[in-house]
Amino acid sequence: MERIGAVESSLQFSEEIETLMTVPHESGTPSSFTALLKLPANQAMELLHDSSEKPYDYTFNCTSSSSHLHFPSNLALVERASRLSVFSTTAATPAAQDSPETTNSSQNSLKVKNEPTETDSNPNSSPVISDPMSQTQTKCQRSGKRKEREKKVKNSSKKSKSGENEKPEETEKLPYVHVRARRGQATDSHSLAERARREKINARMKLLQELVPGCNKISGTALVLDEIINHVQTLQRQVEMLSMRLAAVNPRIDFNLDSFFPGESGSLVEGNFPSMVMPLTWPEVQPIGNRQQQQQIWHFDTLHQPVWGNEGENPNFITPENSLLSYDSSANSGKMGS
Amino acid sequence: MGGEEDDDDEDEEDALVGVVISRMPPPSSIKKEFLKKWLVGLKALSNSRSSSTSKKEMSVLERKKAIKLSADVAMASLKNGTTSWSRALIQNASKDGNNRTLLKSMLGSEYDKKLRIGSTTTSIMCSKGIRNTTVLRRSCGLRRARKISKDQRVRAGLMAKRLVKKRTQVLRSLVPGGEYMDEYSLFEETLDYIMSLRAQVDVMRRLANASAFSSKS
Repeated sequence: MERIGAVESSLQFSEEIETLMTVPHESGTPSSFTALLKLPANQAMELLHDSSEKPYDYTFNCTSSSSHLHFPSNLALVERASRLSVFSTTAATPAAQDSPETTNSSQNSLKVKNEPTETDSNPNSSPVISDPMSQTQTKCQRSGKRKEREKKVKNSSKKSKSGENEKPEETEKLPYVHVRARRGQATDSHSLAERARREKINARMKLLQELVPGCNKISGTALVLDEIINHVQTLQRQVEMLSMRLAAVNPRIDFNLDSFFPGESGSLVEGNFPSMVMPLTWPEVQPIGNRQQQQQIWHFDTLHQPVWGNEGENPNFITPENSLLSYDSSANSGKMGS
Repeated sequence: MGGEEDDDDEDEEDALVGVVISRMPPPSSIKKEFLKKWLVGLKALSNSRSSSTSKKEMSVLERKKAIKLSADVAMASLKNGTTSWSRALIQNASKDGNNRTLLKSMLGSEYDKKLRIGSTTTSIMCSKGIRNTTVLRRSCGLRRARKISKDQRVRAGLMAKRLVKKRTQVLRSLVPGGEYMDEYSLFEETLDYIMSLRAQVDVMRRLANASAFSSKS
């Protein structure tokens, strides 16, 4: 890092600077926000998708070890994860060459080892999460020192002709934030920290924008926030309405889960359900089943398919009517649909 | 150059991923887990009610509250304390003494441990939140003296900032436990909260439709 700065400042070769600047186009680890800050917005978003998906995969990971969750198999995402890891390995080598500091290279090699294991295993892995988490908890001290060193470098590099973009980040693996001052902008540590913080927040906003449908076209933080708030309120209101519906329909809140077609329950179970669903729910039916007050009963089995479809094959809502009528063994929901 | 082509491809992919993320249905294993926990909670509720109170009939509102509460707690317990909103939600639920049995049954034997963990984290966040200037400012009703600027652009910028601040405040009130988070974690929590709300709505809607259908037949 320092060596690069020294090289830059002392020699001020534009070619070296260009080579350094081309690194960010390839580099990028899903876990490094510092690299994200340097990349153009598109690439940053792409990386953020992965970096955000992995943490969210993790948070959605259920406690039960049996059901190991992964996002509904989306080849695009997996390919992207693999592509990024490949990039990180390629970035590691030029980075190692450029900055032969032992600390950096050791961290790079560590990172390189992490990435292949990450793609081998499920996309949701903890090494990735620990990095974003540690980055979000940047200590000001370390970043402050770094920024001071960078300040000196920057001040000298500002005089060079390459003032428009920031310096590429080789030490992206390190868990604190590097911000390079743009030409003509303040370089005191406060505004640097401010800018880093703001960029992080903007990155998150972009993610939220992508999540909430209909936000892509909107520009401007306030309007996007409006949409997000709207969305959250809508969802909460839906929960209220649905619970009201359920309360109105049922005299008892304990849904009696007996089958009211006892004869057909066997065939339904064999026929329609993917085998994974059965072992999970069968033990559940027994303790909950309650034969005493049968004011409102319905076949719990019929709830399987409407409730969660066919493991992502059919995300549409399947009416229980269809599931009841079609006793075919095909678990496919070709005929079923809302 | 090659760089530009890459950008174009990535633009499309970005849009694609964005659409995928927003339209993707919540994973079914989450929904399964949620349903299981929810039903456990409901059963516990109904058992406790029928044993403690003499009248077996609950009003619709009571039922609705019970259903909603157990659904929320079920969803929050799935997170297992990893996210802040889930902790805050469980905390709020446990404040009401009536819910103890429900929470005990749903969260299992680790109920007390989780509550202690939750309370310590929220107390830490409370102390942080008190130091958080936005909370202070809001509670004291102070108004920062604004710079009188004649420049249009600066004024527009200030107004935009004010709007954003207002919105952020509203968002804080929506997301459980939002008052004590800083902006950055607020957005993260919102993201996660939206995803789990979606899953919750999905399961509840299907259940409601299924029950409506069966009542018709």
